[in-house]
Amino acid sequence: MSASPTPPAHPDGRGLERLLPDIATLQDRLAESGYLTDEGLATALFCAVRLPQPILLEGEAGVGKTQAAKSLAQVLGTPLIRLQCYDGIEAAEAIYEWNYPRQLLAIRLAEAEGTHLREADLFGPDYLVERPLLQAVRHQGPRPAVLLIDEVDRADEEFEAFLFELLAEGTITIPEIGTVKAEVPPVAVLTSNRTRDLHDALKRRCLYHWIDYPDVARAAQIIRLHVPSAAEGLTTGVAAAVQRLRSLDLQKPPGVAEAIDWVGALRLLGVTRLDGDLVARTLGSALKYREDLDVALGRGVSWIGTGD
Amino acid sequence: MTERLAPDLATVAAGFGGLLRAAGVPASTERCSRFAAVVALARPVTVTRLYWLARVTLLDRHDQIDVFDRVFASVFGGAEDVAADRGDTAAPKPPPQTRPGARTRASAQPQAGESDVPTPATTVGSPHERDESGRLLVTASVEERLRHKDFAHYTPEELASLRRLVEELRVVAPRRRARRPTAASSGRRLDLRRTLRRSHRTGGDPVRREYRRRRDRPRRIVLLADVSGSMESYSRVYLHLLQGAVRGTGAEAFVMATRLTRLSRALATGHPDVALGRAAEAAPDWSGGTRLGEALKTFLDDFGRRGMARGAVVVIVSDGWERADPSLLGEQMARLERLAHRVVWVNPRSAAESYEPLVGGMAAALPHVDVLVPGHSLHALDDVLAAVRDASRR
Repeated sequence: MSASPTPPAHPDGRGLERLLPDIATLQDRLAESGYLTDEGLATALFCAVRLPQPILLEGEAGVGKTQAAKSLAQVLGTPLIRLQCYDGIEAAEAIYEWNYPRQLLAIRLAEAEGTHLREADLFGPDYLVERPLLQAVRHQGPRPAVLLIDEVDRADEEFEAFLFELLAEGTITIPEIGTVKAEVPPVAVLTSNRTRDLHDALKRRCLYHWIDYPDVARAAQIIRLHVPSAAEGLTTGVAAAVQRLRSLDLQKPPGVAEAIDWVGALRLLGVTRLDGDLVARTLGSALKYREDLDVALGRGVSWIGTGD
Repeated sequence: MTERLAPDLATVAAGFGGLLRAAGVPASTERCSRFAAVVALARPVTVTRLYWLARVTLLDRHDQIDVFDRVFASVFGGAEDVAADRGDTAAPKPPPQTRPGARTRASAQPQAGESDVPTPATTVGSPHERDESGRLLVTASVEERLRHKDFAHYTPEELASLRRLVEELRVVAPRRRARRPTAASSGRRLDLRRTLRRSHRTGGDPVRREYRRRRDRPRRIVLLADVSGSMESYSRVYLHLLQGAVRGTGAEAFVMATRLTRLSRALATGHPDVALGRAAEAAPDWSGGTRLGEALKTFLDDFGRRGMARGAVVVIVSDGWERADPSLLGEQMARLERLAHRVVWVNPRSAAESYEPLVGGMAAALPHVDVLVPGHSLHALDDVLAAVRDASRR
């Protein structure tokens, strides 16, 4: 089935080819949209769009897995369709649902007016509530929508099976209507926090990329982009401090999001340089566990702030 | 141009995939062809780019990255050091990497085979070991004799027969309310979807109402078994005990020695002894005592905090003999207590009447343990199973 040696040609392959001829272009476009990537992530997203093939992104919380999908949609100039997974999510919430109250009303109305109502009328598009997966398949193009299936590890294992048809064939089957085939299959981005192992059958259908924490220089770039009004010394100082914190033995090492929050807090205080005293007062922006705060403060605030 | 390249590319992609598989990364043919497809698509000009194309297409787990880096460096390294930024410059070639694993399997199998042969049946005097009723009879008598014997005093033959007994025991996890509802014929929440679908049978009138109801799901069971020194024979029993649950309800098993090793996958697919053998190979000073606190910390950092321990029943099999500073163990147990639904500690030493938890590690851990049970004999296993099954907290 999906083991075909050559991936199916994209309907709008040439349009995408023009938009994203190579990895460097995608990296530039993502940067223009405010999302800085390293070569690995750019390569991964490039493959996902151009093959096309669903991609599974994993990484620690706060490295920008969700943002990757959002920015990709921005670059493609297409809608981002998001499905947030949770324990107990079902087909009715993810794929489609019939609008039962409306169907009942139609039946009553037909009875009152004495008109004839066929079943096909009741199970037509008017009564169909489209949920994210169906929306993604129904997307008209010309460029593919980005379908973000967020935190797929939170859904039950049984739910993964609902995704197979869409991910492998780009189709969704509704018993009352038939199979809906995507004219322009969406670019599917799945994210996982690894709270459980995903099923091999799901992984088999996906490309895989592990997003690492950015290095200091890139982290500083990213912070600068989000908090442009912060002083240069503060931005690089916090980026380095966060890097140092990660080298400690913490339960939840601070991610990029925490670094941005931290710079935001410091800027609010009107600070232009990080020092030990400020670290002690604002460390709560970066570390969210009491034990982690103890470890970090035990190592010394001046070490966190300035490295010595 | 792609056309002309194709055969070469296919060979390279398939060959590289073969090396990965030999090193333990299951790169399927499907993934290899994807790799070839993206190379044709992106036409990489640097080794770094090729590295990322390969990594994105050929892997599916974070923990494969290290092995992948080594294999990649051994094949494509030289021109440019791709693994430099990952700190793997002195990468050995993949074959030495694979051989220890292969040897383990080979050496562990005969050992498992020995204990697998139903010799105990013959030693207790049944010539008809294939005869079902005979086997049951023998089993019963063995069970009677072994019932109160400490696992540590079992002979190898007795251990083998014990396995059959243990495999018949059912580990039952307490249940939790699931988010996902199930269909019911009565209840409070009306299931409109099913009610209307059924109404087609009655001419469109919803005569029979259908309901949905919250369903129960079993909690996850996580076993952390200490396998250092004298604890090994006990842990072996508990791994056998849990094997059925790992296959059936997605329980998880880890062994703790000088470091933590996850055995769930090996248990689900293979023989517990083989799985243990492989873990032994991975941890060099197997019987040199345990760093319980560190192992527990690794578990919580890498697995527990992500969700494996949340709301789970955690069973720790250990004598609480901590080689390192017991305060770390205390801290980690406090973390575990906050995450888990229940913590059951199986300590065979506590079977002795004079036992008091004076060993540093055990004393530090005890305040955070819900139930402490000896679990040292077949008879005592009942208490363990009851403790696991019990849904209440403390």
